[in-house]
Amino acid sequence: MDRFLDLRFIIGLFFLLTGLALLLYGVTHTEGSGNNTACGVLFIAFGALMALLSPKANK
Amino acid sequence: MQLNSIDYAIIALYFLFVIGIGLMLKKKVKTGNDFLMSNRSIPLWITSLAFISANLGAQEVLGMAANGAKYGMYTVHFYWLGAVLAMIFLGVFMMPFYYGSKARSVPEYLRLRFDEKTRSLNALTFAAMTVFSSGVSLYALAMLMQVMLGWDFDLSIWLAAGIVLLYIFMGGLTSAVYNEVLQFFLIVLGIAPLVYIALRKAGGWQGIVQHVDDAKLHVWKGLSSPANNPMGVDAVSMVFGLGFVLAFGYWCTDFLVVQRAMISKNLNDARRTPVIAAIPKIFMPVIVILPGIVLLALQQQFTGFELPVNAAGETDYNMTLPVLLQQLYPNGILGVGITALIASFMSGMAGNVTAFNTVWTFDIYQTHIRPNATEKHYLMVGRLTTVAGILVSVATAYVARGYNSIMDLLQLVFSFVNAPLFATFFLGMFWKRTTGHGAFWGLVAGTLTAAFVHGISVAEGKGGWITHYTTFYSGTSQAFTIAWIAFLACFIVTALVSLVTKPRPDAELAGLVYSLTERTKDPERRWYKNPLYLGLIVLAVTLVFNIIFF
Repeated sequence: MDRFLDLRFIIGLFFLLTGLALLLYGVTHTEGSGNNTACGVLFIAFGALMALLSPKANK
Repeated sequence: MQLNSIDYAIIALYFLFVIGIGLMLKKKVKTGNDFLMSNRSIPLWITSLAFISANLGAQEVLGMAANGAKYGMYTVHFYWLGAVLAMIFLGVFMMPFYYGSKARSVPEYLRLRFDEKTRSLNALTFAAMTVFSSGVSLYALAMLMQVMLGWDFDLSIWLAAGIVLLYIFMGGLTSAVYNEVLQFFLIVLGIAPLVYIALRKAGGWQGIVQHVDDAKLHVWKGLSSPANNPMGVDAVSMVFGLGFVLAFGYWCTDFLVVQRAMISKNLNDARRTPVIAAIPKIFMPVIVILPGIVLLALQQQFTGFELPVNAAGETDYNMTLPVLLQQLYPNGILGVGITALIASFMSGMAGNVTAFNTVWTFDIYQTHIRPNATEKHYLMVGRLTTVAGILVSVATAYVARGYNSIMDLLQLVFSFVNAPLFATFFLGMFWKRTTGHGAFWGLVAGTLTAAFVHGISVAEGKGGWITHYTTFYSGTSQAFTIAWIAFLACFIVTALVSLVTKPRPDAELAGLVYSLTERTKDPERRWYKNPLYLGLIVLAVTLVFNIIFF
């Protein structure tokens, strides 16, 4: 199965991108910085875990 | 509440992903079976999360938070008394009949077990209910976005409907199910930080205990009399009305949720789907009910957490979650919270539209209009039905905007239809003497009884349109009571009519009725593979939570 078509990879990618956006916004803006940074890190960790759980591509 | 570029970027990213999932699955959809039944090929972890997510629509997310603020911990009965037991019952006892009979829908099971008229009655009312619910979901989304963010009503309607249409049209049921899993994680991870932030601000659980009425912090205390609990419910209505009739009626017979288990790869997975889904269901009150309770504690300590009043001049509890989002989320994570709300609306809408597709195509079109057509033809009909379903939902949303009282009336009528349904399935599956005539007239009698009880009782100013015979403490109490009386009426009439009509031969009922189905011992001994063992563990955990919060 193509890893990029696996649902775990898709969900992982979504949360990785959202987490990155929150993290970047958190470190560059003062208002709500702590919450955005913490949620960004949480989302990145969850996204990475989901992406890692997806099966490796067939060679 | 003002969104800025980061919030809009997160919303846009979500839209991009849900459409992308549909696009990705488009190539895999070649037949009507692929489009409407996912070719029974979906893995267990996806069916389990989709099972719980199909129910995680706006009514659940916003409505349960509202109930949390209104009724406190009593709201968890919808989970710990109702949902969990019913889901285990579905997995352990009912799924072998649904899946084993090879029925493609719940109405189709009714045809196999009873007859065509019982299937048609169920299919038609179900199809009408799903598009209606989908439209109501759309209307609620547009209204919420208008009130919270000042978005244009028409834009919200057409944008949400257009996106749902795109991803279902391309990828069918599989696309809806995949998106439901994404939506599940988004809703949980989008709202969980809000619960944490709110809880911390309120002073933790200790802060809640100090500032919230003690009656709202118990699950069973005060059930001896309706006057002693915030929900105004008596023990019989709670246990029999909600815990048995309503919960089992919804979780075990509503095709919208049962369909998620029916598309599993094999019978064992189909049976484990609702049981595994019951595990996160036990913990869902933390995400959907606790915010309402925390809000009560925050209202006592800070300003800005007051709920607005609606057009009728009453406290608008449905604004519980929006108020918390507005007060506690900064831009950035606010975009995630808003996206989670949008996801819950879209999830509810997509679940209804896909269930409508299947029932319309298999149970109405293929049965009454064009049987024996090619798979390609049914794929085309399934896609056209998606477009029609979405357009009717949009029209329903506009009707709801102009004529709210008509929508209330329709919702009430549908609740009458749903109330007795479980009696029909229960008797059909566990009493071989039940006949098609019995089932049909039982359903009619149960529905009429529900309408009659509503007509002679009043709660919160509603009902009593025949005469004012009795008064309930709350609308919830009235609904629970109507449900169990309608169930009993359906049960009795079905049994009586069955006894005076000719039953089907035993040979025709093999695999459809408990006593006529060969019971093979589940070969799976590993506890996590065996639905019964898993169910018992889930039940034990639920019992512990009930004791802790007694």
